[in-house]
Amino acid sequence: MSEFTIGILGVVALVTMVFLGVRVFIAAAAVGLVGMVAMIGWSAGAGMVGTIPHSKSVSYTLSVLPMFILIGFLAFHAGLTEKLFDAATKWIGWLPGGLAVATVMAATGFAAVSGASTATAAVFSRVAVPDMLKAGYDKRLAAGVVAAGGTLATLIPPSAILVIYAIIVEESVGMLLVAGFLPGIVSALVYCGLIVVMAKLNPKLGRPIRGYTWTQRWKSVPGTVPIIAVVLIIFSAMYFGWATPTEAGALGAFVVFALALLHGMRWHGLRESLLESAKLTVMIFSIIWGVLIFVRFLGYAGLPEAFAKWVVSLDVPPIVIMICILLFYVVLGMFMDAIGMLLLTLPVVYPAVIALGYDPIWFGIVVVKMAEICLITPPIGLNCFVVNGVRPDIPLTTVFRGIMPFFIADVITVGLFLAFPQIILWVPQLMRAG
Amino acid sequence: MQSNTPSDDAGADAPTLSALDRRLGTVETGFNLVAALAIFVLMLIGVWQVLGRTLFNAPVRGYIDFVELSISTFAFLGIAYCQRLGGHVRMEMVLKPMRGRLLWSTEIFGTVVALAVIAVLIWYGWGHFLRAYQLGDSTIDAELPVWPSKLAVPVAFALLWLRLLVQLAGYVRLALDPRRRPVAVTTVLTPEELAAHEIEESLGAAERGRRR
Repeated sequence: MSEFTIGILGVVALVTMVFLGVRVFIAAAAVGLVGMVAMIGWSAGAGMVGTIPHSKSVSYTLSVLPMFILIGFLAFHAGLTEKLFDAATKWIGWLPGGLAVATVMAATGFAAVSGASTATAAVFSRVAVPDMLKAGYDKRLAAGVVAAGGTLATLIPPSAILVIYAIIVEESVGMLLVAGFLPGIVSALVYCGLIVVMAKLNPKLGRPIRGYTWTQRWKSVPGTVPIIAVVLIIFSAMYFGWATPTEAGALGAFVVFALALLHGMRWHGLRESLLESAKLTVMIFSIIWGVLIFVRFLGYAGLPEAFAKWVVSLDVPPIVIMICILLFYVVLGMFMDAIGMLLLTLPVVYPAVIALGYDPIWFGIVVVKMAEICLITPPIGLNCFVVNGVRPDIPLTTVFRGIMPFFIADVITVGLFLAFPQIILWVPQLMRAG
Repeated sequence: MQSNTPSDDAGADAPTLSALDRRLGTVETGFNLVAALAIFVLMLIGVWQVLGRTLFNAPVRGYIDFVELSISTFAFLGIAYCQRLGGHVRMEMVLKPMRGRLLWSTEIFGTVVALAVIAVLIWYGWGHFLRAYQLGDSTIDAELPVWPSKLAVPVAFALLWLRLLVQLAGYVRLALDPRRRPVAVTTVLTPEELAAHEIEESLGAAERGRRR
């Protein structure tokens, strides 16, 4: 059997096992192990595979992950959401659909201390939905905007998934994180624009909230300062390089930690946050080394190059292939966690995308945005279930109906990224030049 | 985050298995707590490093070495804890419609694969540690010994192996008689249950943290 054939069999075996519900890290490691043994023998193959978990995990770059994850879990204890929503309402509530726009802006701010989409949707269902319903807002709009607002968390750093992408494709972590800010903000602005237009056309959806004085507005600002501090720490550290991602993450976590203490977090809350952070961290590391075992095998089998060559030889414009790849992710993302999905597919898809001439940073941002869209689309659309879980009085069908406009907005956003790659590449290019 | 262990009150059905499950669970939580503390320490040292370097021109000696070695704690020690709580990513689309013996047999298949792979990784991970220990490998900068970090891999994987064994027993028990109540296994959750889980993690934790 040629190595290429073994490679193909390996991919088939992996897909089968993943479908049968084998944990992704186990399925990837199992196929990698058997494949390596088949190609270079038991002692060389298993011996090499056996060192991968340690040697691939123990790398300074990866140490940023637990820091970013910790920021996210501590942020729930810091009482930031209420303050952000309050400030956003006072400053931009006068717009048509003002409270919904304020929800998007507050979620954008909260994204700067959170990388978890579903969790962000949960906290905003608690904070923003009651105010919107009290002000007579349409239920669908209120539910849709919190479910969609949650998805902003993964693009705007700290974002674990961008770090993972960077590590798998061997790009600069700092560069990807810096690149995430602007597309995240663009996504938020597209949401806001959509809400304003909808509320303008149909004022019953949500009325403007007016009557705040300038004093009240300015008084709401200090509550948002910690968020601004974390954004500045992470962005400036990455952009100017005065601290590594791990150091910036540590500093950011410490700011949020101090804030949570001030807000009344006690030992129990800290213990809970740390245990959850450790659980999520080990989940991510397991899947990283598992997939890297599989990648070693794929590399030996020469599959990624073969696939890239085949894709480039296709007689269709690159943009068509790119759209096919993106649609493939939409379908896959309906059934699988974003991190698992990206790690499993990138080793094969990424070389092909690069061979087509796309920028690695650009593709990273677009792929993460795609993974986010899956969180609001049926049949799973976990964010919608989360909103319904926090607010059982809003039926699931209402949430899904409410999310439709935001889904369209996301398609528009991805279209913008495709048409104007500069939205993503501008800041990283400035950084490269500087 | 796809599934979790069903309620503990099922213990009456299989006393030995659920006792083993609980006992192993205590060790797993202990291991995960060590990993959690390592993350906390990593944060504190990171702050110390940045402030020391930028304000006092006095960086922590061997910071990068220390970070790299500490990764072993949080990259591996919690792996069995995460397995017990069903935290490792998997796809449940095909499992979802399955019921009874078919479902439990499929779970047995996955668990046996895991047991085999982890056994190989324990064996060669141990060899990896032994070489570092016998040669006295140390890091470049601070000259910290490397072996404790390599030892974490076979130790954590051994605990995972035991957890998988308990889960295998749980699945076999159910495959033999699907009418039994699940004990010491993870089950497939509906999106509603999954969402409840996520909500508990973000909202519930914060509220309980403040009350106590």
